[in-house]
Amino acid sequence: MEREKLKEILEIALAQGGDLAEIYIEERESTSISCESSKVERINSGIDLGAGIRVISGESTAYAFTNIVTEESLKEVANLVSKAVQGAKKDINLDFTTPKPLIDFDIELRPDKVKIEDKVAKVKECDQAARSVDEKIKQVSVGYGDVRQKVTIANSEGVFVEDERIRTRFVCNAIASDGNNIQTGYTSLGGTRGFELFKEREPSQLGLEAAKRALLMLEAQPSPSGKMPVVLASEAGGTMVHEACGHGLEADLAQKGLSVYAGKKGQKVASELVTVIDDATIPYKYGSFRYDDEGTIGQKTVLIKNGILEEYMYDKLTALKEGKKSTGNGRRESYQERPIPRMTNTYIAKGKDNPEEIIKSTKKGLLVKKMGGGQVNTTNGDYVFDVAEGYLIEDGEVTSAVKGATLTGNGPQTLQMVEMVGNDLGYAIGICGKEGQGVPVSDAQPTLKIKELIVGGTGGVGDKKIVRDFKIKRI
Amino acid sequence: MADKDFRRLGLEVVAKAQKLGAEMAEAFLLNSRQLSIQVANQKVETMKLAEDRGLGIRVFRNNRLGFAFTSDLDALAIEKAINQALANCRYTEEDEFLTIAEKYSAYPELDLYDPQISDISVDEKIRLAKEIELKAKNYDSRIKITERAGYDDSQYEICIVNSQGLEAYYHGAYCGGYSLVVGEQDGDSQTGFGMQYEVKYKDLNPEKIGQEAAKRAVRLLGAKTVKSQKAPIVLEPYIATSFLSIISPTLSAEAVHKGKSFLANKINEKVASTLVTIIDDGRMPGRVSSAPFDGEGVPTGETVLIKDGVLQGYLHNTYTAKKDGVKSTGNGVRGSYRSTPEVGSTNFYLANGDISPEDLIKEVDRGLYVTDVMGMHTANPISGDFSLGASGIWIENGEFTYPVRGVAIAGNLKEFLLNIDRVANDLTFFVSKGSPTLRINNISISGS
Repeated sequence: MEREKLKEILEIALAQGGDLAEIYIEERESTSISCESSKVERINSGIDLGAGIRVISGESTAYAFTNIVTEESLKEVANLVSKAVQGAKKDINLDFTTPKPLIDFDIELRPDKVKIEDKVAKVKECDQAARSVDEKIKQVSVGYGDVRQKVTIANSEGVFVEDERIRTRFVCNAIASDGNNIQTGYTSLGGTRGFELFKEREPSQLGLEAAKRALLMLEAQPSPSGKMPVVLASEAGGTMVHEACGHGLEADLAQKGLSVYAGKKGQKVASELVTVIDDATIPYKYGSFRYDDEGTIGQKTVLIKNGILEEYMYDKLTALKEGKKSTGNGRRESYQERPIPRMTNTYIAKGKDNPEEIIKSTKKGLLVKKMGGGQVNTTNGDYVFDVAEGYLIEDGEVTSAVKGATLTGNGPQTLQMVEMVGNDLGYAIGICGKEGQGVPVSDAQPTLKIKELIVGGTGGVGDKKIVRDFKIKRI
Repeated sequence: MADKDFRRLGLEVVAKAQKLGAEMAEAFLLNSRQLSIQVANQKVETMKLAEDRGLGIRVFRNNRLGFAFTSDLDALAIEKAINQALANCRYTEEDEFLTIAEKYSAYPELDLYDPQISDISVDEKIRLAKEIELKAKNYDSRIKITERAGYDDSQYEICIVNSQGLEAYYHGAYCGGYSLVVGEQDGDSQTGFGMQYEVKYKDLNPEKIGQEAAKRAVRLLGAKTVKSQKAPIVLEPYIATSFLSIISPTLSAEAVHKGKSFLANKINEKVASTLVTIIDDGRMPGRVSSAPFDGEGVPTGETVLIKDGVLQGYLHNTYTAKKDGVKSTGNGVRGSYRSTPEVGSTNFYLANGDISPEDLIKEVDRGLYVTDVMGMHTANPISGDFSLGASGIWIENGEFTYPVRGVAIAGNLKEFLLNIDRVANDLTFFVSKGSPTLRINNISISGS
């Protein structure tokens, strides 16, 4: 669509007044491959084209979208939206300029230039590697997906952005059974990259690892339960930071009083060993981008610094409410949704301790080597997540594997109880769900020692509600 | 788009796919309009209008399946999608059971379109959303925050055309309201929700939706934990339906074929208490998940899955049915035009028993009435194991006493089904899953 036409559409959208009008045009091409029982069952391709128009006026937002991306249709949608919110007319700036991003991505192998058979080969390679490990591996499912998303974003503050995002992901789930017991193991890989993603790790490695984890859990003993010290290994991924504080630091929840961290800027909310950062500018990570879905440049935001709450994550709407600037966290699943504040790549910064020393310092406790999915009630900070791979620590040594552990805790309490922070950092990818919108994220943490968490049982949790739940799904 | 335009486009797509080399082809077309209104503090916070349309195409060649979709219905985009689907089916596995639906002479007649949903003005719908919020806030002074309250509706038309001569079309609509509020007292805060989705606009009851949310938010304020013990639990219908959401995928023939169901190879065996009858019924009158046909054009129907505790069969689409030598149960479910039809449930419910929920509770000496669980998505459909955080209300001598939080209930779905020892007569649907109040005996409750 030509720039002049976009200007006309924005003017129509603001015809009845309003603080901000925005157009978001998206064209998404995707491919997904799924393999189960060693059969490539589905290869799906898709073209999704649509545009959404939003007008913000004070506390109200009107949003409409259509799949018919023509000048006529968009003008009609703009007209519809303009009638839904009314407000004072403001000065608008339609001298479109494009902000310069802090990061760029070089895509070596664009997914649309890679043959389907090459993608299928990666899937089969992973399946075979997983199955070759042991006869007890009864089922393996492998999924590959790539997305090429072209967006055009223009708003009445004069922002005009055209961007292309390319993401690739890969996941393997292995099921092991010895006749009585069934256990699963999963691995995943993903990034804002093309087919060169597999230079990070080969599919066969991912298959082996998933199979070995399932087999290990088959031999594992049931997890002990009760309060105990917990060491979260860096490779465990960042589910804890995502659930324990990430969601509660999203500005929409904080502003509505729906976060345990609401109104706590400048206050101590964590051990001084803890610094939490959200950073969209880490090269090639799954939650990285040049621009967010409102055309704001992706940036690095220190959320908690040495235990003190510094900043929330803002999109334009929440920033407007406080008269400040967006932190570049306005994201949406697609043109079908309005943007809301979301995490990108969220992590606890490295500390000084040697990971081995952290384990040695633990007399009796649980070592978490891989975390599964999680869920949080942001209102009071209670969270829960699964342990996909866990071990006992006895007298500073890692001993037997344990299965079926879940960890429950309270976000602020857990962050206060961080006693040691390793000098390492490990990432995991996921699709984070909020208000029904899934967006790609990654999260990370160093090896952490937490004074005590509730293992196995779920004492301390139990009050949440269902409709609003923030789950991270490990893909 | 009108019925005949949709059919014409579907026929063109199928003919084009066949011309380009498909042995069998199927076009799925969807066109929908949605409105959602969210209010907070008696002001419209968000109003969303959506128009979504698109095409999903399945092609078959040499017993291989390829799929592609497009939301762009330009001739060029459609041709690109057909070619992509054909390219994809060169690399999928050969499978002799892959098929499409045959032509059907008739479909169930369902009243799924209430013209009021489109006739009623947006202003009136905004008023309804505000009323929901007001009813929640006015119910109790401890209701302090509205996270969301709102009204949604959707009007849609679906058309399926395939190369077996199948041409099916219907249109429908639904509407609903919801409320999500926070109650506060002495530093404790609890959330509660209420929702209702209906085919008929006049059936929406804003007062009930609002009050339900408020009741849920305040009833757990000041909750405490209980001692660890074995005791019966009573599940209110909403919680019982969240268990059914984990059980329904294990009744899909696809999960059974792949060894991913704890109910595999158990037909004609007792898998649940004799009080348990579980049914999937895609043509239930007045339900928002009802439709004359599924995502492949197969007529929907009533499938009794578990009868008096005995497993009768599984849910099928055309593929799993051909594999098992049975007929599709009309459970080839599509999320949208963006995905292939996979085995799924429609209106999935546990049938009523004959005791009132009040009498059921009166019979409990000591036990937990469960109103909320956390971590349901971590339950394992293969092994059946679950471990959940729970909260609710303690029952003592058949009476509700104090609210409880911070306990864990753990167990296995197999035992869960077998240990249901009371089924009440208050079947309640939450969108597509329904259950009456249930009592489960002898559950480990871990608390302090």
